[in-house]
Amino acid sequence: MVQSGFNPRARWDRHIPQGEDYQPNELNEIIQVLAWFRNTKITPRWFIWRGRKYKIKQITYNWQERQGGAIINYFSVCSGADLYQISFNNTTSGWRLNKIIS
Amino acid sequence: MILHIDMDAFFASIEQAINPRLKGKPLIVGSRANKLHTVVCAASYEAKAYGIDSGMPTKEALRLCPEARFVPAEQGRYIWTSENILELLKEYGFELVYASIDEFQLDIRYAPQPESIGRDIRKRIEQRFNITASVGIAKNCLLAKLASKLNKPNGMAILTEKNLSRILAGLPAENLCGIGAKSSAVLNELGVKTCLDLYQKPPLFLKRAFGKQGLNLYASLHSSDSFEGLKADNRPKSIGHSYTLPRASENTGFIKAWIRLLSEMVSRRLREQNLACRTAHLWASGPEIGNFAAQKTFQAATDDGYELYLRCLKIIAKISQKAPKIRALGVTGSNLTLESFLPLFKEQKRGEEINRAVDRINTRLGEDTIYPAVIELTKIC
Repeated sequence: MVQSGFNPRARWDRHIPQGEDYQPNELNEIIQVLAWFRNTKITPRWFIWRGRKYKIKQITYNWQERQGGAIINYFSVCSGADLYQISFNNTTSGWRLNKIIS
Repeated sequence: MILHIDMDAFFASIEQAINPRLKGKPLIVGSRANKLHTVVCAASYEAKAYGIDSGMPTKEALRLCPEARFVPAEQGRYIWTSENILELLKEYGFELVYASIDEFQLDIRYAPQPESIGRDIRKRIEQRFNITASVGIAKNCLLAKLASKLNKPNGMAILTEKNLSRILAGLPAENLCGIGAKSSAVLNELGVKTCLDLYQKPPLFLKRAFGKQGLNLYASLHSSDSFEGLKADNRPKSIGHSYTLPRASENTGFIKAWIRLLSEMVSRRLREQNLACRTAHLWASGPEIGNFAAQKTFQAATDDGYELYLRCLKIIAKISQKAPKIRALGVTGSNLTLESFLPLFKEQKRGEEINRAVDRINTRLGEDTIYPAVIELTKIC
């Protein structure tokens, strides 16, 4: 197997200036999460944010991003009628609610 | 045989997978969060039906379809998805080319049933990522890419010796990758209207129309591809970055800060690949200067961001106007060599050591953890 050609990180994963685009729905708050860790798969089940428990009905998408040496696992999750983006940092083992998607 | 995989409205489909409420609705993915000051990065098929396409200013797109939903692009999720599709494709064991963030090519000439591989790949991508892909199979990369567009979205087309002429006869020549508006106008004048007309022309005809590129086009259309050519020289010819500034500016400090940032990004990638560049290329565009591009070759190759920045400043000094308004900038290093020059002086050696240390910190803690202070000026409005 030979792979050649394009490298997406070379194009995208670089310094993009911050502050240019204000995103009002970004929260980035620490949350408590109950999650299953099976083999390499992480499945969040519910989270507590500002004292309230949110049961996760569905994980619509998940992806990973590298921040230096840390790998951040992102999940877009449905709870009730709302859609949230939460993340798990494998270096700090901490969970965050990044934003309310809708 | 080449199997070309083209993801359907890639960025928009991922956003629709993340937020299922956006499915079936016109969706615009913008390159910046401010929807009135950006361009369309990707559009869902529902938005494309209104005439919205990539590269269009979002203001214009929202005029065409005021009810379209807008989402700012988040590159990390697209990169992860693309890389994981690549990993999935590696499992098939064929030679593989990563053509772009949403395009992949497999050399399936030894596969007994190309069609079933195409079907299987599409099915697995949909199951794993909840997004769809279109597949084209043909004897070479150019025709396979053309085939992948025939039954979009979520479709597959195979160009064989039997159906090739019939299908090509029904497609305008500009559908072929590489035939843009200018080439299309030239071909029209010469009476070449369809892909079949182009396919049937002899190499000399295409050489007369497009010079050496015409011969390349002939070869691309008629070859039975393998990826041998790519394997032979897979090293980059140049490394560059460009950026459309948030606003047109004549502030010299602001513009210089952007050139410095782009130079640092280029040099970081040069160092990553143990390369250095001898030629610096600067591109700028603005309302008064139009598109300005110039390059200068230096005797000593460099992989240092500051040195590349200084070289770019020498180039930008060629712009005759004093402090013109600049909207977009690009810095490229070419004429690449495997090593930079050996430092003669202590200060140069220290500079190299600082670069290595900064690279190590940024690799460990994230790309913009440490950077030259002047780059802060890119954030001024």
